[in-house]
Amino acid sequence: MARIGVFVCHCGENISRTVDVEQVAAAAAKLPGVAFATDYKYMCSDPGQSLLKKAVAEHDLDGIVVAACSPRMHEKTFRNAAKVAGLNPYLCEMANIREHCSWVHEDRAEATAKARDIVQMMVARVKKANKLADITVPVTKRALVIGGGIAGIQSALDIADAGHQVVLVEREPSLGGHMAMLSETFPTLDCSQCIMTPKMVDVANHPNITLYTYAEVENVEGYIGNFQVTVRKKARSVDEDKCTGCGVCSAKCPQKKIPNAFDRDLGMRSAIYTPFPQAVPNTPVLDRENCTWFKSGKCGVCKKVCGPGAVDYEQQDELIVEPIGAIVVATGFKLYDIGRKPEDSSYKGYGEYGYGTIPDVIDGLTFERLASASGPTGGAIRRPSDGKEPKEVVFIQCVGSRAREKGISYCSKICCMYTAKHTMLYKHKVHDGQAYVFFMDARTPGKNYDEFWRRAVEEEEAAYIRGMVSRLYRKGEKIVVVGSDVLTGSQVEIEADLVVLATAVQARDGADSLAQKLGISYDKYNFYSEAHAKLKPVECATAGIYLAGACQGPKDIPETVAQASAAAAKVMTLLSKQQLEREPLVARVRESNCTACFACKKVCPYGAVEAKEIRDRQGKVVRVVAHVNPGVCGGCGTCQATCPSKTVELDGYTDEQIIAMIESL
Amino acid sequence: MSRTATALNYGYYPGCSLHASAREYDQSTRGLFGALGIGLSEVPDWLCCGATPAHNVDRLLSLALSAKNLTLAEKVEGDLAVACAACFSRLKTTQHELKDDAEKRSQVGRAIDGPVPLAKKVKHLLEILDSDFGLERLQQAVKRPLSGLKVACYYGCLLTRPPGVPQLDDAEAPTIMERVIEAAGAQTVAWSHRLECCGAGFTLSRPEVILKLTGDILAAAKEAGADCLMVACPLCQGNLDLRQQEVEKASGTRYGLPALYLTQLLGLAVGVPASQLGLDGLLVSPQGLLREKGLL
Repeated sequence: MARIGVFVCHCGENISRTVDVEQVAAAAAKLPGVAFATDYKYMCSDPGQSLLKKAVAEHDLDGIVVAACSPRMHEKTFRNAAKVAGLNPYLCEMANIREHCSWVHEDRAEATAKARDIVQMMVARVKKANKLADITVPVTKRALVIGGGIAGIQSALDIADAGHQVVLVEREPSLGGHMAMLSETFPTLDCSQCIMTPKMVDVANHPNITLYTYAEVENVEGYIGNFQVTVRKKARSVDEDKCTGCGVCSAKCPQKKIPNAFDRDLGMRSAIYTPFPQAVPNTPVLDRENCTWFKSGKCGVCKKVCGPGAVDYEQQDELIVEPIGAIVVATGFKLYDIGRKPEDSSYKGYGEYGYGTIPDVIDGLTFERLASASGPTGGAIRRPSDGKEPKEVVFIQCVGSRAREKGISYCSKICCMYTAKHTMLYKHKVHDGQAYVFFMDARTPGKNYDEFWRRAVEEEEAAYIRGMVSRLYRKGEKIVVVGSDVLTGSQVEIEADLVVLATAVQARDGADSLAQKLGISYDKYNFYSEAHAKLKPVECATAGIYLAGACQGPKDIPETVAQASAAAAKVMTLLSKQQLEREPLVARVRESNCTACFACKKVCPYGAVEAKEIRDRQGKVVRVVAHVNPGVCGGCGTCQATCPSKTVELDGYTDEQIIAMIESL
Repeated sequence: MSRTATALNYGYYPGCSLHASAREYDQSTRGLFGALGIGLSEVPDWLCCGATPAHNVDRLLSLALSAKNLTLAEKVEGDLAVACAACFSRLKTTQHELKDDAEKRSQVGRAIDGPVPLAKKVKHLLEILDSDFGLERLQQAVKRPLSGLKVACYYGCLLTRPPGVPQLDDAEAPTIMERVIEAAGAQTVAWSHRLECCGAGFTLSRPEVILKLTGDILAAAKEAGADCLMVACPLCQGNLDLRQQEVEKASGTRYGLPALYLTQLLGLAVGVPASQLGLDGLLVSPQGLLREKGLL
């Protein structure tokens, strides 16, 4: 006869508000095989766990059911407690009467009855449970960082400085991301390039970092400690080993009228180019779409002028497979496009602002390039249409953000501060100019942030108008800004020379497909989801994968750097272990019954099933059977459900256990 | 135009304006549709939709008026063609508000002594010309292209708004009027005040508001180089045309911009005799301009 202990948790009032926990415990006590049942306010607390341990000793328990929250929350806690009490931890199970019961029901009597059923099923399951031993897997002591903006750079440097190997993959031809495009940074107004480029150089020179630029993650296989990552290194058409970065190819390239995306299309570049002078690596890339040689087979100037003979038109994409132990995802963000959106998009766009058809209506990032000393105007504020210095500039905040009717309800977090910064940069460069800001609220929490904003208003004389803008239209050389001032209750019209829209921060294009490759989850805006909003802000729910920067949600630089270092610390913890213990909840094949149909292999999403040869004493193959690699198995149970001869069993979820659960009802 | 299997027939809700101050809109609509071979059967015994005054005073009344019209419209075959932007807006708003609100629907049902039929497709003339009849056929029907005529298309505030309700075109950056009149060979001007309000609701109570709002619209159209305005709303037309002289007096600027209905311009293009288009109903006469462009 089994001796099971049942512990029913109140979870403060989270469970006891809806479920009569005492009744659930009393009913459990009467179940056959239950030797002890009780309820307690907080089972996960120290006294709660002591209660459990004491009961194991006093009542000689051989199995435990904790009726409380989701096993994702506290299964580990209670299995550890069971282990300390001398039980095999896999003889301890949780009955989820919070997420599956008290949180989703209102009727107390019905919720209590359901909780009793859930407990009854878990008791039946524990009675049929087997003692299991943890599986150990080796750890590959190398980290992959995806994204070479400030988040990826910070994570990579921290991990590499700790002595671990890092592979950094950046999609663009250079490291730097958005931060390299910025002029000066809040709240101290230090030059972005000055603080960013040394870190880029550090990455390139670090002996522990392998840098792939102009490269993307193609495929990810494996699991924590043992990923196999395929990186596609796109054909640069320039041999990185031979190139000296002299720049002659770009200078001589006859095709010079290609808008440079790094300068938000305000400046021009050649077909063979480095995106900006401080690029790392300082190796040009050939843009084949715009190259005369690739379009017509004529030209070839860059190849002719290249002294070291680095230009290679035949170069192909290269696929590199890297063994990796832990992954940091730091793929950053994009800005809401003010242009017209496709019909099916849930983002409505801004027809009232002209859908991006007015050339002197620009976004914040474009203003950064105008204000940047290394930008297309050398840091002079000139409007795109005619190059004139704008004397009246209107900044509009919350374009796209906090606008449910436009498709985005969240706050983009960085715009209040960067708009305040923009007004200052403008005033510093155009002394007789006037900046106006239309805003809903000034959200400036952060060290020295509110002081910074007040400085823009009080010292730099930016005119802040609380209200939104309903329409922008052209009137001669001016742009008429029609808005409201809700504090005075009046309508405002400003004839501006330049309008800067603080557009929403959004997840990058392709964020969803990368998430699917990695097997991590994302929200409805395609921002990556952390494992716990408060307590696991840098971990993904998928083990071994961590998040840094704006790919997880809008963030400014200080916050991004903090999260990047936190992710690096998590990676270091993981890589400091010789081997990892894994839960033994994996599939097992009863080889004697296996008919080698390999239906299990076909359905396995992890590629964990392989063929195993059984040989006799002479070494002759007598049979072939299916075998599950416990290190790779994800424990999903698909093979168990598929096997026609019921030969595959998932430990912890055996057919016998599941049938017992159903029959107990 | 030959009668084919694709012959188009509509129920027609003219609304009060088209029977009174905007008779020329009604006349030119019938003239144009007749020439294009599109059938119109007027809804029997229709009521005034109440326009802005009704929904300002009593929202339920406003919904009931349009609901009653929708009930009456069931008596005629085909989708419901509407010319007036205000009537169009009220009918569309009524369908939109009652569609997912059973309580409001039953309230309105009590007021009109019967269930509210919501299935009828309500279409503005522009939509019929642009989608159902089609721009290609319209182009083929043109006998006197409006070449050389620079038209400022004026949508006003109701035709495309609020977003999601009329669903005629993009609420803030529509092009349907430009598409239709360009099919007739006219040249359209890009200008700023296409969707600004003319202030129609204040035309009697606070005429000084009109002088500013309508004045801005006329000034913007003139600055953009337009020869005339094209409108799809009798209230807008009333302000732009009837009040133009007052605006000119107040601002000291002469605009001389005829405000024509889309059906008048299109009617001319497809060869409807000028006498059937009510051109003499406009206060700012288009005769000189049309003669100069060789259209009369």
